[in-house]
Amino acid sequence: MSTPTQTESTSQPTSARLRELWNDYLPYWFMAPMVLVMVMITFFPGAYDLYLALIEEPTLNVFAAEFAGLSNFETAFTRGGALHSFVVTITVVVSALLLESLLGFLLAALVAGVDSGRTKSFYRVLFILPMAVAPVSMATIGRIMLNSEIGIVPYVINTATPFAAPAFLSDIPLLTVILLDTWNWTPFMFIIFYAGLSSVPDTLVEAARVDGAPLWRRYVHVIIPYMKPVVFVATLIRLIDLFRTFGVVYGLTQGGPGTATQLVSINIYEQMFINNQITVAAAIAIVYLVLVVALCNVIIAKVGFEGVWD
Amino acid sequence: MPSKRNRRHFLKATGVGLLGSLAGCTRGGDSSGSGGSDGGSGSGDGSGGSGTASEGSGDDLAIPLSEYEDADIEWRQFEGSQINIGAVQHPWVSAIKPAVPVFEELTGIEVVWNILPEQQFRTKRQTDVSTGAGQFDVFYMDQVVNQFREEGWLQPLDPYFEDSSLYDEAWYKPDDLFESSKWQAHGGGYSDTWTGLPITVEVQTQFYRQDLYDKHGLEVAETLEEFRQNAKTIHENESDVVGTVGRGQKGYGMNIYILNTFLREFGSSLWTEFPTDSGLDTDGVINAAEWYVSLLQDYGPEGASTQTWSDVLSTMQEGRAGHIVSDANLFWPGLTGSDSSVADTIGIAKAPRPADGQFSPNAFNWQISTSKNARNSEQAFLFMLWATSQPTNTWMHLENGAAFSVRQSVWENDEFRSRVGENFAQVTLESLQEAAPDPFDRKYPQWGQRYSEELQRAIAGQKSAEEAMTRAASIAEDIYSG
Repeated sequence: MSTPTQTESTSQPTSARLRELWNDYLPYWFMAPMVLVMVMITFFPGAYDLYLALIEEPTLNVFAAEFAGLSNFETAFTRGGALHSFVVTITVVVSALLLESLLGFLLAALVAGVDSGRTKSFYRVLFILPMAVAPVSMATIGRIMLNSEIGIVPYVINTATPFAAPAFLSDIPLLTVILLDTWNWTPFMFIIFYAGLSSVPDTLVEAARVDGAPLWRRYVHVIIPYMKPVVFVATLIRLIDLFRTFGVVYGLTQGGPGTATQLVSINIYEQMFINNQITVAAAIAIVYLVLVVALCNVIIAKVGFEGVWD
Repeated sequence: MPSKRNRRHFLKATGVGLLGSLAGCTRGGDSSGSGGSDGGSGSGDGSGGSGTASEGSGDDLAIPLSEYEDADIEWRQFEGSQINIGAVQHPWVSAIKPAVPVFEELTGIEVVWNILPEQQFRTKRQTDVSTGAGQFDVFYMDQVVNQFREEGWLQPLDPYFEDSSLYDEAWYKPDDLFESSKWQAHGGGYSDTWTGLPITVEVQTQFYRQDLYDKHGLEVAETLEEFRQNAKTIHENESDVVGTVGRGQKGYGMNIYILNTFLREFGSSLWTEFPTDSGLDTDGVINAAEWYVSLLQDYGPEGASTQTWSDVLSTMQEGRAGHIVSDANLFWPGLTGSDSSVADTIGIAKAPRPADGQFSPNAFNWQISTSKNARNSEQAFLFMLWATSQPTNTWMHLENGAAFSVRQSVWENDEFRSRVGENFAQVTLESLQEAAPDPFDRKYPQWGQRYSEELQRAIAGQKSAEEAMTRAASIAEDIYSG
């Protein structure tokens, strides 16, 4: 008789305590799986990268590793050419982002202004096509098309215009890279801007027109402010994506000639897989990560999601 | 009725055989490998079996076993074991694969292939040896040979060469291997021991357009000065054809692979004093770089600094270049095959050299090695010996379309010469006899990359050849000192 009572009396407080624990921290329990996933896919690799950046020789045994202080960072910025690759990356990111935004908006505005539905969808499909090409195949095709002896682009320039075609990949490598990326990714901006433009109420534009606002004023003072959230999100996504550019540029120039188009991503790759300097690659990656995260946060803080979603 | 049963029997047997061969890498223990009894039974009904090979094996072996049984080697001492081969997708693999049943029959050792694309293979190999997993008994080895050797990952082969049950010098004829191939298999001068056995070799040669030579009355150049003159003549007199093409793209297998030929011919070498003096700022290197850079700038295509080997090959194939100044003789089939629009008019000659310089074209050998941690290194050695032996090599080159032998006897073989073309064979043979491959010191990939970047800058006109090479020298020395 007494045995079951005893068991019950000891187990009840335990389960009650458990339930209390569960109830008190309910939000945390719900978050736990997601946090775990985040730790595994974001925090752990980041921490491991930091660990690699701070040791002498890579080793799996954490306790056997020799602490290197900041020497890997020093190597990265002296011998590793990190500074140069940061400059190259920023040049590419800023110019490509500007070009893609402007062209994307222009195309979107033009297509939105077309009356015939069929023509509209024809242009829509046509402008989106380049985005469907895989970066590496684009680079490979690009190399052939730009080849000064057997490529179609120099051939057309030489025969159809009075100008002599430059050697795209060696005379103007950075510009070539920027233009190719623009060609590849303008469609992305086009799609989003097009959707944004379609969401601007006709009545608003009509009202401005009736008030006598010329076309450019309608865009600058009515349409674009209305589209601000769309412009912001599209630019931010593209910005982050541009910082990650690798395939097109590596396939096209391998970062050359010399290091003329060596993006940070290519520099990291070369340190890692060609020079076999994992620690230096990790150091550059850490600096890059911090810079990109900081930049994005500054932009978000300046423009502000709150204002955007109003 | 009986015929029906026979057919079903045949289909079943074929099915089993097909499954066996499809299973490829993962093929385990029993079936296909040795006896091949059920594969043979399908056809065994009608014909009486060939029976030319020794002992009762029903299969037609590609090479008669007697070729190997003469050797004073105990081939069957590891009967019943299995070796793993790690290889890249490469012509050597397809050329030797049909002959592997001969090895399996000869030794009773089963061969399992792990074939991967080059980049993936490198990663896998690195993991396999550095973690001590030892999964690959035999694996492809390249420019990282000294890095691997100094890490203590490679198994030197000398103990096996000294074991009389594993090796018979009179049969293997090591002197038939090209000196340069043997030298590269000894870590390019950095090792006293065999780091592996060479399986394929390519050597640099010059390619030219015979039709343009006839048209302009040119003669094949032996010296750099003559070559430059020939390139100039074609460049200036042909509207759509550049004088020459050559690799300009950076990468340790790209532009410097070509330049290294010329710098040795100018009397310099990589590492005058290892590891303190790279030799890259010596007169020989600077002269070689100046010659190569100005050749490509003056008579090469626009944007020569970005040309990879495939650009070089396709420009020549399209008939848009008069020469390839110096590149792998392996281009020959591509230039004279159906992909080439100038297939009938391509000539091949030895790479040019300075008038007062020594002819010494660059060559590259792939080799196969075994690791310290491999479970079956001795079996692996037997395989390496068999694969690089004269009978196997000759068979691959006579019967299976290969043209990369590391054995002189193959290049001297009349049947082979008539198959690949007398001129190609002779030029290759003479080039290989005097070839000087790159010595890949342990940090070659690292400083070679930077050296090639500097050369690329010079070709692109961003700096002079002298500035580029001086900079490359300090980078290379810095990498070893730091």
